[in-house]
Amino acid sequence: MKQIALYGKGGIGKSTTSSNLSAALSERGLDILQIGCDPKRDSTRMLMHGRFIPTVMDLVRTQGDTAITLSDVEFPGYNGVRCVEAGGPEPGVGCAGRGIIATFQLLEKFGALKGDVIVYDVLGDVVCGGFAMPMREGYAQEIYLVTSGELMSLYAANNICKAIKRLASRVKSNCRLAGVICNAKGQPKEEELVAEFARQVNSNLIEFIPRDRVVQLAELNRKTVIEYEPASAQAECYRSLAARVMENTRLTIPTPLEIDDLEHLAYSFI
Amino acid sequence: MILNTSPTLSSRSGGCTLTGALSVTTHVRDAVSIIHGPKGCAHHNFSLLHATGLDNDLAVIPDLVSSALAESDIVFGGEEALARTILAVCERDVSAVFVLSTCIVDTIGDDVVAVCSREYPVPVIPISTAGFLGGNFQDGVNKALISLAALAEPTQNNGCVNFIGEMNLEYEVEENYAEIARILTLLGLTPGIRFVHNITLDEISELGAAQLNILRDPQLVPVGEYLKDRFGTPFLPSFPTGLSDTLSFIESIAGSCGIDGKRAVGIEQALQAEILADFTDLADSHAVFCGPVSDPMSSRAAQEAADALHIRVGNDQNANALPVHPVVGTAGVKRMLHRWRRSLHA
Repeated sequence: MKQIALYGKGGIGKSTTSSNLSAALSERGLDILQIGCDPKRDSTRMLMHGRFIPTVMDLVRTQGDTAITLSDVEFPGYNGVRCVEAGGPEPGVGCAGRGIIATFQLLEKFGALKGDVIVYDVLGDVVCGGFAMPMREGYAQEIYLVTSGELMSLYAANNICKAIKRLASRVKSNCRLAGVICNAKGQPKEEELVAEFARQVNSNLIEFIPRDRVVQLAELNRKTVIEYEPASAQAECYRSLAARVMENTRLTIPTPLEIDDLEHLAYSFI
Repeated sequence: MILNTSPTLSSRSGGCTLTGALSVTTHVRDAVSIIHGPKGCAHHNFSLLHATGLDNDLAVIPDLVSSALAESDIVFGGEEALARTILAVCERDVSAVFVLSTCIVDTIGDDVVAVCSREYPVPVIPISTAGFLGGNFQDGVNKALISLAALAEPTQNNGCVNFIGEMNLEYEVEENYAEIARILTLLGLTPGIRFVHNITLDEISELGAAQLNILRDPQLVPVGEYLKDRFGTPFLPSFPTGLSDTLSFIESIAGSCGIDGKRAVGIEQALQAEILADFTDLADSHAVFCGPVSDPMSSRAAQEAADALHIRVGNDQNANALPVHPVVGTAGVKRMLHRWRRSLHA
């Protein structure tokens, strides 16, 4: 079983990329589980045709964890992709990080963490220990960074490299950086910049996903691109990403950049 | 932000802010203390307060209620659990409710003050007592006393002298109170309220009426200052420790209250001489001081008593170990001398 996690700046397209990656992987006949690890609970929405599925934390809150079964929290989406949303508190209260930890414990109890590939789609910033949970022992060993060529997005990706590096230094930790996915904003020399960033943090650019209107159209139709426009070049991009993820064996301990070096890098690609 | 200190620097007098505050709030007989946090925080403190109360012949069950937070409250926020707990407590016959926070609720950012500011039939007083914020037991005591003092309004001076911040968990809390009350009576003054020891909210309304406040310990000076600002009441910073300190204490009270203390000092000196005369059998013994305390005030008081009785203090082979306790007033010294006699004649 392969367990991968997508991390990156908020709004960079992690959920879109995750959903299309899950859809593309499912086309290869694989059993896929996608877990949304964000209180916003919208990671799996395109796989579920726009439906906000009940979250693990909502069910725990209303029913208590003893009354819940796996079928209450896991929903079959597009092409059989199994969808789970961790959920969490309303903005501004409680502790979303603890919610992620509680969700993982419950999924373990259910034996839900199985299949050919588990895709963890994690909230933008690893603001506390709870959001690093998917990187811990027994969960995702392969971390993919989703970033555009914008400095703030690279900055967030670089910060996540720091978290991976720290976790990788622990005894028994198998958490590694598996690659960088460029979800392009359409700025000049963007692919070259992100590829160079990936190289400098001791990794690879796994896939360059160009900006394409079809992504918005698919979303407005509440579908992944794979389902909405299966013959499009964009769908082919996600299939290519799926193939590379399955083939990828280069797992590294990242070398995060100093902020000056990161700015210098971005500057050199203007 | 509070930084971590070395793990080797654990101090026996540091303690938890929550426990300190509870040592005050649970002594308000007609109020309930809600501990907003996991139920274990309440249980642990309940046991401590109950056991200590029994040791002091105060068989009062501390009225603690826990909001009993579970993991889902931590994930989604514990504010509603707190509101429910407050409402349930208000159904009982209580005069006030104290809400004390724990580490976890201040970590997740529950707005305890906002929940306490809602409409309730009785005053609901929040006290921030999360231990990880760096406060110790004494900070909890001070915060609780100041929060409680805010409930009293300025009032007509009644000429009494109040007791501020008695150490409710110390073994000789009653003896120490009785000693200070004796000294006040000696000066012709009336002991006022014990703020806070086994008291009601109604009695606390008299807090501002005193002509003088006596703090149990100099660590309560922020409380003394607060009361001085709020009610204009001057304060003495501590109960007296040892023989000569007790005599100066009498003079200080007399000075603060504008009365002549010479007669009272004379009576006290005679009493002290009489007590020392009862212990002349200890004279010329060899001794070395040992715990349970080693604060400078207690050590000085012990040395003074030893000198008066010609006990030779020094670490030689024949020295007997003499315990040094916190001694309040002349009576405290007398109890210490009894302990010394048992040690020397053992």
